[in-house]
Amino acid sequence: MSRPDSAAPPVMDPPVRRAAPPPGPRPPHRVVLDAVAMAWRTLTRMRTALWLLFGLALQSAVATVVPQAPNVPGTVRAWLAGEEGPGAGVSGVLDALGAFDVYGSTIFLAFLLLLFLSLTACLVPRIRGWWRLVRRSQPPLLRAAAPDDVRAGVLVGGDRDAALAAAREVLSDRILGVARWRVRTAPDQVAAETGLWSREGGSLAFHLSFYALLAAIVLGQLTSFEGQRGVVEGEPGFVDAAVSYWTYDPGRWFPEDAHAGWRLDLASFEVDWIRDPLAPGAGQPTVFRSEVDVTRPDGTVERAVVEGNRPLVVDGRKIHQLDWGYAPRVVVRQGGEVVHDGWVPTLAGTGVFSGAVKAPAAEPDVGLELYLYPYAPDGPDGPRLTGAPWAEAPVLLAWQWRGDLQLGATQQTITELDVSRLDLEGAAWLRPGDVTAFGDVEVEFVELRRWVGFQVSRRPQVPGLLAASALLTLGLVTALYAYRRRIWVLAEPAPGGPDGTPRTLLTVVGRAFQRPDAAAEEHARLVDELARRTGGTRT
Amino acid sequence: MTDAQLADLSRVLYSPVTLALYTAAAIALLAALSRTVGGEVARGGALRRLGRVLAAAGIAAHVAHEVVRGLAQDRLPLGNMFEVTSLMALVGVAGGLWYLRTRRRPELEGFVLLGGTLLLGLALLMYAEPGPLMPILTTWWRTFHVSLLVGGMGVFAAGFLFTALYLLRVRIDGLDADAGEHRGTSPADATVPEGGPVDGGGAAVAVRSAPDVAALRRRIPAGRLAAGVFLGASTVSWVWAVALEPLSTGLARMLTVNVALVAAALLARWFAPHLPDAEVLDGIAHRTVAFGFVLWTVGTIAGAMWAEQSWGRFWGWDPKETGAFLTWVAYAGYLHGRATRGFRGERAAWIGVGAFVTLMATYLVANYVIVGLHSYAGL
Repeated sequence: MSRPDSAAPPVMDPPVRRAAPPPGPRPPHRVVLDAVAMAWRTLTRMRTALWLLFGLALQSAVATVVPQAPNVPGTVRAWLAGEEGPGAGVSGVLDALGAFDVYGSTIFLAFLLLLFLSLTACLVPRIRGWWRLVRRSQPPLLRAAAPDDVRAGVLVGGDRDAALAAAREVLSDRILGVARWRVRTAPDQVAAETGLWSREGGSLAFHLSFYALLAAIVLGQLTSFEGQRGVVEGEPGFVDAAVSYWTYDPGRWFPEDAHAGWRLDLASFEVDWIRDPLAPGAGQPTVFRSEVDVTRPDGTVERAVVEGNRPLVVDGRKIHQLDWGYAPRVVVRQGGEVVHDGWVPTLAGTGVFSGAVKAPAAEPDVGLELYLYPYAPDGPDGPRLTGAPWAEAPVLLAWQWRGDLQLGATQQTITELDVSRLDLEGAAWLRPGDVTAFGDVEVEFVELRRWVGFQVSRRPQVPGLLAASALLTLGLVTALYAYRRRIWVLAEPAPGGPDGTPRTLLTVVGRAFQRPDAAAEEHARLVDELARRTGGTRT
Repeated sequence: MTDAQLADLSRVLYSPVTLALYTAAAIALLAALSRTVGGEVARGGALRRLGRVLAAAGIAAHVAHEVVRGLAQDRLPLGNMFEVTSLMALVGVAGGLWYLRTRRRPELEGFVLLGGTLLLGLALLMYAEPGPLMPILTTWWRTFHVSLLVGGMGVFAAGFLFTALYLLRVRIDGLDADAGEHRGTSPADATVPEGGPVDGGGAAVAVRSAPDVAALRRRIPAGRLAAGVFLGASTVSWVWAVALEPLSTGLARMLTVNVALVAAALLARWFAPHLPDAEVLDGIAHRTVAFGFVLWTVGTIAGAMWAEQSWGRFWGWDPKETGAFLTWVAYAGYLHGRATRGFRGERAAWIGVGAFVTLMATYLVANYVIVGLHSYAGL
């Protein structure tokens, strides 16, 4: 058989038949070529694709158990230091294997690449075959019915040609201008087939959508931008420019001058909780809402609201609330001279917000480790720490360190103090307005406000992702629910009617390749329709 | 009625009412099977009618529970593990029974109720009082995203049940299990081996000709089945042993779940000779999983859309996102396995079992063990 049978269903993993290799030793280049051909054949087999899929799943499973650096960098550092997890030794091995960043690891990307290669090699012949089917395929004529075929007879008046014409008519309905059945006529039968193109086409669309997804994701990585910045309520905000952001993560093709230059200020921020400890859901937040002022380059100011699920969109940039915390204003003086005066953003922990003051202007450096307890009313032994997050009786615990802050020398976030070269001088509880002194240094807790962390992002890939997802879903549903089936209407002359007019016996044979129950129902409907149109009787 | 009264009512409707009705329906429907010979089901037996009435009453009580609970907390009951598992059971039972009706396979109804009872009990282990939701969750996005995924979970649960029953049935048929390929006698449903020959062998049903049910049952070694189910259940239930404090509570929970599953498996073995042909079961399992896969796909996409809206990124490999992806890949593996030479039949079915294990394990791990953005209301 030189050409594949166009009527045959596609075979995902066809058996490979090859001629026996010629006898004798092969030249070296043949060995290499054969090895490459062999590797290609192995890669493009469905079984290999399944194993690759399994490999991807296994790596994702690792990623659910091992903390991932892009998500929880702190936990990963703790694992590597041996403070958490299975110990520093095991963590070292995990790190070497890329287990702390599975989705960015070479192994994961290699598996993905191989899977896409395999998919491509599988799809190219399938698309060609599908195109050939759409253009040329004709349902085969029935030679012998199979045992599982459904069959029904209709006895109609008239000769064979008229009866077959009626059968053709029944099978001629159209959907959106496209004939539902592909019909072929022979002198003694009508053969019809449907479902093959849509089923295989759906499967192809489903698999092709992965290329669209991949393209959208890669292009998105290159052209998107994401920046984060904290703003204290009532204080000057920030301008959309590369230097303003605390974290700045542009794609490779995102130009720095693409920033629009609007300005964002936080007018007010509202957060609240279910405060009754006995109420259902006690402690859950109930409000998380920022009112912001957006000033455009032309000077127009616009009041807007940012809420959970309701980001603000400015010039195609989405602005989300990511985080919030208390921001005590702390002034540090040395010998009457101000060495630090600013709002200190603190991050929420369990019942406490922590932050740090770094005052390199002092001599030697002053570092303050700050712990803010928002609701700590006075008790008999000093502040009573309740752990509640609302700031009704805030108290600040300040630990003062002196020495070398090592700014720029070690990695430290703005809320962390590297105390390895610092000496502890003392600690004090401060209410708003309180001043305390450690040696020649004076620390004042002036006022308490809150800060909100905003994320500004531009993701041009989102429409592409949506389109790819739509293609994926449509293809999937079609591939799973369209089903291939054939109908044959066989005509044979029957004994004439009582008045001697000719009669024809139509036998309707249905064969399903998938979903036989649905096909059998459709077959019954078609038979009824045929009997109704021809005025025939079912036998 | 006050919210507290509504909460009490919803609890009573769930347990004991729904739990008892499901259990009774499962017993009646399974007992009705033993009064029949082989796969042939005498229609309209009194026991079967009783079982169906009980099942319908159970579903009604379950729906009433969900409605009352929703009224008590003034939100859809889709917020914590108890509510999700309970709805998963409802979808599995109601959807499973409806599907069996369209496929005219009443002999499987008892097994569906048995599975529903197990899920209902599982949800009870995670019971939480009705309560409000965080404001970020009160959006139609959540309804859309979570209900699709919970529906998918329920459908996958039914699919797992049918897959497991298929594997039991294959043992009884004694088909060439080692070859890993099940050769059907008829294209009962689903995909006929595409392009491949359809064997005409008469291997399938020994039941009808040999009504010695006990001998058929003995083809499934009870000890091995119990041990296998115990170990298989442990691949999921270890999460409780790890997550719950103290360790004894966790181990007790793990053992409870394992023993309940072993008991259910032994019960299913007892009635396995009355199961439909292996290829019929395989087809039903495949169609069920296929539907669940569509729900899971759309639900996950909806989740990514909501994440872009709410967190400003559509995908971040959060534990639950990873779990959803993992489950999706596992079920994609099952669907592809069913169309692949060398995986078709039993091996594909085992992939399906593994996929459900993945679903349940990631569901529990992402809620109990790992804290991520998706961790909202405690459990």
